[in-house]
Amino acid sequence: MSDNKQQLLQESLNDEEIRKLVLARLEVLSPDTIKCIGSEGSFSRDELIESVKRGDKIGKTIEQIEMEWLRALKGGIISELYSS
Amino acid sequence: MNYILHSMSRILVTRPEHDPLTRHLSRWNSKIIEVAKSKGHAVTDLHKEKANKKEFEGRIKKLNPALVLLNGHGDESCVTGHDNEILVEKGKNEMLLKNKITYAVSCSSAKKLGSVCADSNTAYIGYDEPFALNLDRQFLSDPLHDMRAKNFLEPSNRVACSLLKGHTAKEASDNSKKAFKENIIELLTRKGNDPDAHDDAKSLFWNMSHQVCLGKEDAKL
Repeated sequence: MSDNKQQLLQESLNDEEIRKLVLARLEVLSPDTIKCIGSEGSFSRDELIESVKRGDKIGKTIEQIEMEWLRALKGGIISELYSS
Repeated sequence: MNYILHSMSRILVTRPEHDPLTRHLSRWNSKIIEVAKSKGHAVTDLHKEKANKKEFEGRIKKLNPALVLLNGHGDESCVTGHDNEILVEKGKNEMLLKNKITYAVSCSSAKKLGSVCADSNTAYIGYDEPFALNLDRQFLSDPLHDMRAKNFLEPSNRVACSLLKGHTAKEASDNSKKAFKENIIELLTRKGNDPDAHDDAKSLFWNMSHQVCLGKEDAKL
């Protein structure tokens, strides 16, 4: 994906909108979900929601994962996955 | 009958088990150990409390393994063992990984530790951002039956399995990424609108994108 496209995506979503999007995605996960994020530890769905609301390190990593995925979708990752 | 003779290699594995991530990694690495032993390789398994700095340094100096499989926590500069004791660290003892192939399933260690280890005789496969693993709470004590974790740990295991089959470090990393990709597609095309599947696909994509093969790409066992 070009730098221009990435910039456009970032510009089109502000921090608050990104947070809302991430929270909405987390809220529909099964309550049995546990995410291990490197050395930060293991977190339940509800703990992740709190982290994103607080904007702490874990919350930021979750937002980063979401943003990379959105950028990839915008950059045509789906067709890339199927074609390779 | 034709027999293909493979040369035996020494392999060192660290498998701390003190929290959900290390427990899952450890149990799934037992599969790699089985494969390695079945192929006649000599495996030194630093499991649980044995995954400490003294054992790690002693064994690696004495045995000079061709392949080092590090499972644990860490950061950009180090990889830890049981109870998060630092086993190998940039600027301290990274020389221990020289002239070997290392696969580190550890948070971001490829960024600095991997960069200083990797050279024309050394391959370092790892992650330049935190490794993400989604689990099912129901299987915390039974990691090998956790089908959510399977989508993450089988592609990860593909690195070591490919190396054991004789592939180069770069090929092993490419094969792992291919396995991540296959699982992403399977999750995205799963019937019904399964939010867990979509979330897992996102995290798999993150791991796939941040797995790197540094240094001697054509290194092989």
